[in-house]
Amino acid sequence: MAETIIDLKLPLAPQDADRLKLGDIVTVSGMLFTGRSRFHIRAIEENILPLIDFEKINCFFHVGPVMKQIPAGWEIVSIEPTSSIRFERYSAQVIRKLNLRTLIGKTTMGPETAAALAEVHGVHLSKIGICGNQISRQVKKVHHVFFLDELGKTEATWIFEVEKFGPFFVDIDTRGHNYFEQLDKDIVKNLDKVSRSLGIPADFNYTQVNAGNK
Amino acid sequence: MISIKTIQTAMYEALCKAAVLIPPDVRDHLQRTCDEETDPLARKHMELTLENARLAAEGKGLVCGDTGYPLFFIRAGNTAQVEGGFGSLWQAARTATFAATEQNFLRPTMVDPLTRKNPGNNLGPEIPKIHLRFDGLGDDLELIAVPKGGGSEIFGTFYRMMYPSDGKAGIFKFILDSIYNSCYAGKVCPPAIVGIGIGGTADICMQIAKEAAVLSPLGTHHPNPEIAQMEKDLLDAIRQLGIGPMGSRGINAVLSLHIRTAATHTAALPVAINAQCSIGRRWKARITGKGEISYTGDIHG
Repeated sequence: MAETIIDLKLPLAPQDADRLKLGDIVTVSGMLFTGRSRFHIRAIEENILPLIDFEKINCFFHVGPVMKQIPAGWEIVSIEPTSSIRFERYSAQVIRKLNLRTLIGKTTMGPETAAALAEVHGVHLSKIGICGNQISRQVKKVHHVFFLDELGKTEATWIFEVEKFGPFFVDIDTRGHNYFEQLDKDIVKNLDKVSRSLGIPADFNYTQVNAGNK
Repeated sequence: MISIKTIQTAMYEALCKAAVLIPPDVRDHLQRTCDEETDPLARKHMELTLENARLAAEGKGLVCGDTGYPLFFIRAGNTAQVEGGFGSLWQAARTATFAATEQNFLRPTMVDPLTRKNPGNNLGPEIPKIHLRFDGLGDDLELIAVPKGGGSEIFGTFYRMMYPSDGKAGIFKFILDSIYNSCYAGKVCPPAIVGIGIGGTADICMQIAKEAAVLSPLGTHHPNPEIAQMEKDLLDAIRQLGIGPMGSRGINAVLSLHIRTAATHTAALPVAINAQCSIGRRWKARITGKGEISYTGDIHG
């Protein structure tokens, strides 16, 4: 069976986002910006943001790229999406502040991010496999870099123009549903069965050495 | 006498090779996982990972963009001699790490833990880390470079001080729960290579867990049959969890699982878990007493 890969035009239109279902495999084409922990903390705690039009450059790619300076500018060595879940503390606030409808990263995000994405009709896309070399080829142009001196190459905000960038899969949809939360229901049941098969009693408790201490 | 320049070269080359090549045992296990998974997304995770590694080997990038912590595991023969003494190994590691970062084989990832300042060269207190031990009568030196990714180190590290009455049930529960936790949504980048330390002090326990994860040839088992059986029972159980590559629906949450033990206090049962990335980055340089260097991804090579 030939798989269907949907190419999404960036900035992602709310009605396009609404059509996406959990597990859909997609690529994106257009402009995006990068960032990780420092972007989130600074955006919320210090109101420091790169000078970009977030309506036009609306896709937030969670990554710390490996970049190489060449005479003509910058070349990408590798861009491996980083774990989005680490940004859960600030992500919902960033999404609301910048009206972000596309997040791309590794793993998934928590309920607060999902709720914020539902408000703005946004999605989170999760990486497929280890893919940094393939997707670095789909970056057509490195347009700009912000905060390079302050934050270094890894935490700086880069502006990339990408074409059929991916594939990624939809792990949070615009209704706030999460692919991994649904999968987890089965895994938790299995964990219980598997624990019994290894001889771990259902009522097992580790030895408590502060007995009576709440 | 092995010259410092020879050691620097061996460290630099081993780091760079680890960053762009997958060791043969790891590749075989990844391919087997790819063939075994049936869920389309689980398979696609593996296909892309293998394709990514192929591109890296062709000089088109890195096996993974997060080259993580620069670690060296060094074994020296008892009669090995190093120019300037063994203390020179630390400076050689700094020189090699600096050069590998400058040449973009390593991403500048090491920062100050409090100020978060990134010097851009992966150098700092305690980093790069050298584990040095003396073993064997020869005058040779073996070093294994391990650029250890954040996914495995950050999400795949667990420690618990248990007590003798917690027994095997306690050990198994802690391991199963930790693996379930680390695999959720693909945090640890499953299928992970899992090292388990049982016994010792807290630091010995974590140290043997890390060595079990990064230095074990995949698919091998502990020489003690009882411990080997624990490894097999755990692996079989984990395959029933329904967790596949990158936390998808599948079979292979774990690529290989290895236990190491250390003597411990009669009152204690410490257990540690440390995961290694699915791509198992490690590359070995052997240096003879005459200073000839050879490289291999095979841990026994």
